Amino acid sequence: MPTRAPACPILLAPAGSPEAAAAALAAGADALYVGLKGWSRGGGRGELTAEELKGVLAEATRHGRAVQVACNTIPKPTERAFLLERVAEIATWGVAGVIVNDIGLLTAIHRRLPGLPVTASIGSGALSWADAAFYEAAGASCLVFPAVLEPEEVAVIRRHTRLQIEVMVHMVEEFILLGRCLMPSYVRLQPQPLPDAPGDGQRLLGSMKRGGAGVCFKVCQQPWRLEKDGETWGDGIFPSRQLSRLADLPAYLAAGVDVLKLQGRSLPAEAVFALTRRFREGLDAALRGEPVAAAPAPLPAHWTAVGR
Amino acid sequence: MPPFELNTDISNRRDLQASDLTPYDAIYLGNPYCRVYEANFLEHVDELAEAIQQVKGEGRKAYVTTYAAPRNAFLGQIRRALEVAEREGADAVEAHNLGVLRICRTEFPGLQVFVGGFANVYTDVGAQVLLDQGATRITPNYELSLEEIGLLAKHTGAEIELLLHGKIPLGISDYCHLLEHEKAWGIQCPSLCQQDLFLRQGDWAMKSVGKGVLSGRDVCMLEHLSALWATGYRTFRLTALSERPAYRAEVGAVYRTALAAVAAGDARCPEAWWETIKRHSRIGLCNGFYFGQSGQAYVPARQEVRA
Repeated sequence: MPTRAPACPILLAPAGSPEAAAAALAAGADALYVGLKGWSRGGGRGELTAEELKGVLAEATRHGRAVQVACNTIPKPTERAFLLERVAEIATWGVAGVIVNDIGLLTAIHRRLPGLPVTASIGSGALSWADAAFYEAAGASCLVFPAVLEPEEVAVIRRHTRLQIEVMVHMVEEFILLGRCLMPSYVRLQPQPLPDAPGDGQRLLGSMKRGGAGVCFKVCQQPWRLEKDGETWGDGIFPSRQLSRLADLPAYLAAGVDVLKLQGRSLPAEAVFALTRRFREGLDAALRGEPVAAAPAPLPAHWTAVGR
Repeated sequence: MPPFELNTDISNRRDLQASDLTPYDAIYLGNPYCRVYEANFLEHVDELAEAIQQVKGEGRKAYVTTYAAPRNAFLGQIRRALEVAEREGADAVEAHNLGVLRICRTEFPGLQVFVGGFANVYTDVGAQVLLDQGATRITPNYELSLEEIGLLAKHTGAEIELLLHGKIPLGISDYCHLLEHEKAWGIQCPSLCQQDLFLRQGDWAMKSVGKGVLSGRDVCMLEHLSALWATGYRTFRLTALSERPAYRAEVGAVYRTALAAVAAGDARCPEAWWETIKRHSRIGLCNGFYFGQSGQAYVPARQEVRA
């Protein structure tokens, strides 16, 4: 089994604006992740222009912190060369790594820029040690897992890989697993011109993979009737819930997590500050061996796990 | 051997015994959504072994699918299914998950591996990575248009499997949202998800299979078959995991006949075929994402809307 030296885990905070970046830094984030305008799952409202990215990098560097850049929508083949050039360009600005969603793009970046750390996004849908083994062999440096994984599951993954393990410890869990949802685009697909991209570059609003979760049409949040043979058998809405694993930080640390990620590039600066501060204090307490005072949210009755 | 492959999917022995498989060249065995789906071949490996032998004994190819979104705890059972697939001479296994593809490559190198529709193959470079990992057939993500699939095929040379007819897999969950209705309906798992339940809201409908969501409308490429054939596609799937055996038999028979006709240069679509397809379609027809529109749209080959 692979072995690796334990390291102090990194608190990775979201920044959908320069103001949010400043707030996250002030609250004690070890590193930030931001969206590259036009190319991130978070959607247009949480992305930075080139100038904003340069400003955030300068501010983070002044604090001795790192910045990762999410370009985790999947480019069409005609857009890929342009995106690769953009990634090569921003790599020279001092970004600490990029976050991508597509295994093809991941390997293309790894070949072109072997010194640039590449994280496989949470949209990759990884859930197991076997996924980690695949991404490690493909050249990823880090793999993001959702907080639906228990610390015990993460510990098993740790034993199988030298990859950096990142867990999104604060996130919204939707009914459909991340990276596995085509419901919005089934209902509606709305291509829009891609900012700063050449030719026919398009952002496909409605597609989780090619438009981004931040701009999907939230079909999963619409109420429905449940029908059989034309008769209504019930009604409802797909469940979703906030997962915030603050109380489980000691267990995740013991499991060997390298990066604790917070979801929230759409959050205003004040909310980013409060969220980051809460997890900074929790992580510091856990590192001191103190209990973290937060009860995990109970599973609502309509979340009914079966067969796993 | 015909110059094409029409295949379908079956979850368990009951459906295998009840289905007339005459129209099909190959069968995917197992249910990739749920471990407690009734008598899922992937959990009942003795029955999987018998099924592989039965399908092969009838002159068809037997493929074994695998879970689409496995966590650590699934992997032991997936290994058991792969062992059976290897021992019984299954013609291929289907991996919807990159970790499972890795297990196939490293632990079962003799097994042929197809990449399934949940594996998120969106681009030629993505497909190439999986081909380099030993995959021999790719089902592109269902969101891709025919134009994009054509480019992917051209740039990789991969064998492409296309969803020809049936419901599009739209999502998979860790949870079954139907279980909360067990008491009210008096129907227990594992029968709940077999009730032909549709979620409806405004202008859309989707089918619930508990831990999975499918399109409400059936993808139908009948009148586009000659165009697919002319482009060079020869491997086609009729998705029927959530359908009755009559659907599998009758709709499959339409496509079998249509494919043989197209192969012989005859592109007609007799009205009787449409009557069969419409009879089995609960919500209507669509083309999925093949023409660059939303998945529930239907684009006619001629100016006659069938949906």
